[in-house]
Amino acid sequence: MLDLSFLPSGRGGAVTDLPDDQDDAQTFAMDAAAFSHPSFVLPSVADPVAWMKHQMSDAAENRIKMAKGTTTLAFKFKDGIIVAVDSRATGGTYIASQSVKKIIEINPYLLGTMAGGAADCSYWERELGRRCRVYELRNKERISVAAASKLLSNMVYAYKGMGLSMGTMVVGWDKTGPALFYVDSDGQRLKGDLFSVGSGSTFAYGVLDSGYHCNLSIEEAIDLGRRSIYHATFRDAASGGSVLIYHVRQDGWQVISRTDVTELHYQYAEEPRPSLL
Amino acid sequence: MARRYDSRTTIFSPEGRLYQVEYAMEAISHAGTALGILAKDGVVLAAEKKTASKLLEQLASSEKIFQLSDHSCCAVAGYTSDANTLINYLRLEAQKYLFTYNETIPIEQLVQKLCDLKQSYTQYGGLRPYGVSFLYAGHDDDFGFQLYHSDPSGNYSGWKATCIGANSSAAQSILKQDYKEEITLKEAKSLAVKILNKTMDTTNMGSDKLEFATLSVSAGGKVVYKIFKPEEIEQLLKDEGVLTAPTEQTATSDTPSGVQ
Amino acid sequence: MEALFGITGKGFVLTASDTTMARSIVIMKHGEDKSRVLNKNTLMMYTGEAGDTVQFAEYVQRNVQLYGIRNGVPLSAHATASYTRRELAKALRTRNPYHVNLLIAGTDPKTETPELYWLDHMASMVKMPFAAQGYASYFCMSTMDRYWKPDMTLEEAKALMQKCIDELKIRFIASLPQFTIKIVDKDGIRDVQL
Repeated sequence: MLDLSFLPSGRGGAVTDLPDDQDDAQTFAMDAAAFSHPSFVLPSVADPVAWMKHQMSDAAENRIKMAKGTTTLAFKFKDGIIVAVDSRATGGTYIASQSVKKIIEINPYLLGTMAGGAADCSYWERELGRRCRVYELRNKERISVAAASKLLSNMVYAYKGMGLSMGTMVVGWDKTGPALFYVDSDGQRLKGDLFSVGSGSTFAYGVLDSGYHCNLSIEEAIDLGRRSIYHATFRDAASGGSVLIYHVRQDGWQVISRTDVTELHYQYAEEPRPSLL
Repeated sequence: MARRYDSRTTIFSPEGRLYQVEYAMEAISHAGTALGILAKDGVVLAAEKKTASKLLEQLASSEKIFQLSDHSCCAVAGYTSDANTLINYLRLEAQKYLFTYNETIPIEQLVQKLCDLKQSYTQYGGLRPYGVSFLYAGHDDDFGFQLYHSDPSGNYSGWKATCIGANSSAAQSILKQDYKEEITLKEAKSLAVKILNKTMDTTNMGSDKLEFATLSVSAGGKVVYKIFKPEEIEQLLKDEGVLTAPTEQTATSDTPSGVQ
Repeated sequence: MEALFGITGKGFVLTASDTTMARSIVIMKHGEDKSRVLNKNTLMMYTGEAGDTVQFAEYVQRNVQLYGIRNGVPLSAHATASYTRRELAKALRTRNPYHVNLLIAGTDPKTETPELYWLDHMASMVKMPFAAQGYASYFCMSTMDRYWKPDMTLEEAKALMQKCIDELKIRFIASLPQFTIKIVDKDGIRDVQL
């Protein structure tokens, strides 16, 4: 058979042992390869997926427990997309922070939400932001939300089963109009009009589904998003802090508000319940 | 200086030629003739064996015509050793396709696979092109019976009837004259015998100088490859009235060794 | 809880797939099309592990498309199914097998012969006149055994499909409110209503 090993191989090793300060052309070429396709060193075991599964199971001697608890939501309506999230970070039963920013500004037209592992979300969405920028420079036009979300799902799919934990919504406005995608660390990617992600999502869905329709006014939509997160923080111990709301329109995203849920609790308590009939 | 551009396959001459590839084709024009005729109900391949010495042991396998898969076969002209390697490759590719798709490989794809390999030897440095041309006969569901030719450069083409090897241009012109559309396999066999009889250097035709094979479809719809036994070739020659008593003849001296 | 169906008739395959995407106890989406068009006359429907399904289906889809472009002849349904099975079997012996269950429906445009292949995540493949994937098979295989016959008309096939879906509504604990129904015949792949 023909031996073509003398030809330059398509994919070089991603991990190089060269020190960072080497600044010759060779290093640059290798860095460029690593730059376009960064990859992590995997645990040096025969089967990283099986190994990780064990480490995260009850049987493990020092079990790795993923600490997570969040409520995030996003929905489309006639005037764009509303994104609303809580701001609590927990480590088991301990509230680590009440002021986490769970909406990640990927670029002026794209947002990502954060549920699951905070580090995983912020790392991969930042990496996504970088790729979207490279796309923009190469193609002289902005990436579609569909393509951006596919980039993200393909990236995390490559590490499937190795401990990533991420449930995110990629939200933005492109040539096709407003677009909303759900992407998680299983590699699942769904296009939709309404999603909620995190431990408080069922509570948020309860309020959101019953109050949602496409013709909401901007004010109504913002209020629905805020109330849904508030109710989730009320019932879900792992969600809380304040409600952060963004509105995505044709000209990009806008920060709407950040409100402490305690304030909302007393404000909503004053209001009469809406009529059911 | 004259030999500046012909020692490497990968270097074009100022006239834009690849001499090594052309030399490889030259080797084939000294090889024993092989011809193929596409009939409406089958394909016939016939070839002239150049080694005929009474001291030489008859090989158990054939020298010029080989089965590639259940539905394809080929005739070769050129270096037998090169051909053996390539036939092994062809057989392997046919089986790989069957393994993946659970269907027989379309003939043109098989030809293309081999031509991709041959082509690479005209481009990558330090390697010698394969000195073999092939005639492929095959059948697939999409295009029925087919006849292809490929050369050392990696070019291939489909034919109704064609010929490679020594005296191929003479054979080619008879084919051009006598081939008719709607030819039957039986007629094609006669035509093949007739042409070989006219173009072969030898004066006495016999089963020791010929190989003959047909590809056809049985009543049950199965593709049948038939390689003719010496008795059957004798019978064929007798039927066509060209049989002469076998006499010993040594290989023609102007043939490079190993070229058939 | 996902369900796929395929029923062959005279010159066509009628297919149905539920449209619910669930994650743990939550339905994340209604109205998802769980299929990919492999080429003009071949459709692949999938269920299974989140992420794996779409990755695998699109991998096969692109390879089948590439085959058509390279060779100028589309890959037949039988060859497509065999190729898909081989890819599943190859992945099965690696560190990350695909956990995907499939139905592949095709109609030969020349002979108008309908073909339906059932494949599971262990890379079994069976050619069937009618098939179901998932829990639905426990409820509906008997229905199809009872009513299916060769060379059914489209109307008959639709009626049988409706019977199967109705049975799920009566006896199956999970709610599958909506199905995408498609027909695969010599002219291509189209959405139809029951």
